[in-house]
Amino acid sequence: MIITKKKNIKDIESFIEEFKSFFLIGCSECATLCGTGDEDAILNFKEWLESQNKKVTGWIIAKTGCQILGTKRQLGEYKEAIKEAQCIIVLSCGAGTQTITEFFKEKPVIPLNDTLFIGNMRRFREFEEKCRACGECFIAVTGVCVVTLCPKSMLNGPCGGYKDGKCEVNPLRKCAWTIAYEILEKRGFVERFYEEILGPKDWSKANSPRELRNKER
Amino acid sequence: MSNLKKKLMNGDFVFTVEITPPKGPDITSMRNKLEELKELVDAANFTDNPSANMRLCSMAACKISLDLDFEPVLQMACRDRNRIGIQSDLLGAYAIGIRNLLLMTGDHPVLGDHKEAKPVYDIDSSVLVKLVNNLNNGLDINGNRLNGRTDFFYGAVVNPNAEPLMPQLKRFEQKLKMGAEFFQTQMIFEIEKLERFMDYSKKFNTKVIAGVVIIRTKKMLHYIAEKIPGVVVPKWLINEVEKLKDHDVERFGLDLAASLIINMKEKKLCDGVHIMAFSRVQEVRNIINLIKNRV
Repeated sequence: MIITKKKNIKDIESFIEEFKSFFLIGCSECATLCGTGDEDAILNFKEWLESQNKKVTGWIIAKTGCQILGTKRQLGEYKEAIKEAQCIIVLSCGAGTQTITEFFKEKPVIPLNDTLFIGNMRRFREFEEKCRACGECFIAVTGVCVVTLCPKSMLNGPCGGYKDGKCEVNPLRKCAWTIAYEILEKRGFVERFYEEILGPKDWSKANSPRELRNKER
Repeated sequence: MSNLKKKLMNGDFVFTVEITPPKGPDITSMRNKLEELKELVDAANFTDNPSANMRLCSMAACKISLDLDFEPVLQMACRDRNRIGIQSDLLGAYAIGIRNLLLMTGDHPVLGDHKEAKPVYDIDSSVLVKLVNNLNNGLDINGNRLNGRTDFFYGAVVNPNAEPLMPQLKRFEQKLKMGAEFFQTQMIFEIEKLERFMDYSKKFNTKVIAGVVIIRTKKMLHYIAEKIPGVVVPKWLINEVEKLKDHDVERFGLDLAASLIINMKEKKLCDGVHIMAFSRVQEVRNIINLIKNRV
């Protein structure tokens, strides 16, 4: 899922200072799991806006904020409340925010959250990055995604910076390559892995903006 | 052929010294040091923004050294340039007379003085070794033909202190397979660590230059132990240095480095040493004198 975090309130204040009325849009998918776009998040922010003498003309939780046409349809029922608001605040990820931007060219659309990464949830609202959508998956070869888990995206084994199996960038984390190497060992793949060399990686597969049109069913 | 390569191939025990280019445009002090050091060692090895701290570039420092008739080794890290920048810089380095390369991945930006910088790491050091092999064969990394071949003498780094060691050894083998002609080790404090590595590496018939640091102060030892990636300073050494009076540390550091080097040379453990003296000329002079007097 897409992991989001609410912006610092000071930053939000500077974005909304000049506006008096707001429409709020959350999202029932990732942002709800993160607690950044669910009903609680919306009502908390609504309450804060009202405490600042601002008006909330209405709010909605989009079913899937990144689904453009579905969200457009859903917003249809809130035309009046949206019209009344000077500004729209989106409690979703950067993708969800830009769904809304597409519909409102003149009305400011402001994200309440920062979008952090694609994450896995280990415990309730504890997230870890395991995939960075590089466009070319090597997990079949390396066991874990070294492109993501290694801060240097080393494809062919560890750098020389680890100490006691811990990463030079964050000594609280295991070096991604000590994990990958253990997996290669357990599967009996070490020799096979080192017969060849991975890369140079085709980073053009990660060039933004990316599009995919897959109409096959 | 570079002088360093000639000496190593000839079986001579080589001495290189690590030079960190200045933080700023003034090269007076570095140039003065090079003038003195060139009489003492075989080559000067110029770091590429070490510990991700921004400094004058290794290539310019190499050129300054060349102009003084002091053979340089250019360090090239993967942290700051993509494959286009690396290849272009290497061709330029060759064109201005640089013949020795030391290739590495490079410390991560978060460890340095520009923590907010975007890390590049387009390729890793094994791929970088392969890339230089290509340049020496008149090809770029994509196999496009160049208008000539470079003739670099190129080495890679290895960390014999690494725990776990096996992933590091496999990577050493991989760099060798990609064409690395020599290896420089991370700083060695215990001869056993180097022996353990040499036991493994000797069957591959490569040249190994062992890294040796000259400890000068207690503060410096703690800095090395805590801040330099991949360096494990043994506990006994920290305890021993802690017991010393401050003004005795310098002597201790010099003796330790000298005895390590003499040991390495006498046991024919490696093919040379790389002295890390943080650009202190006098210490390099002292250590070379100590070794000459004892061997």
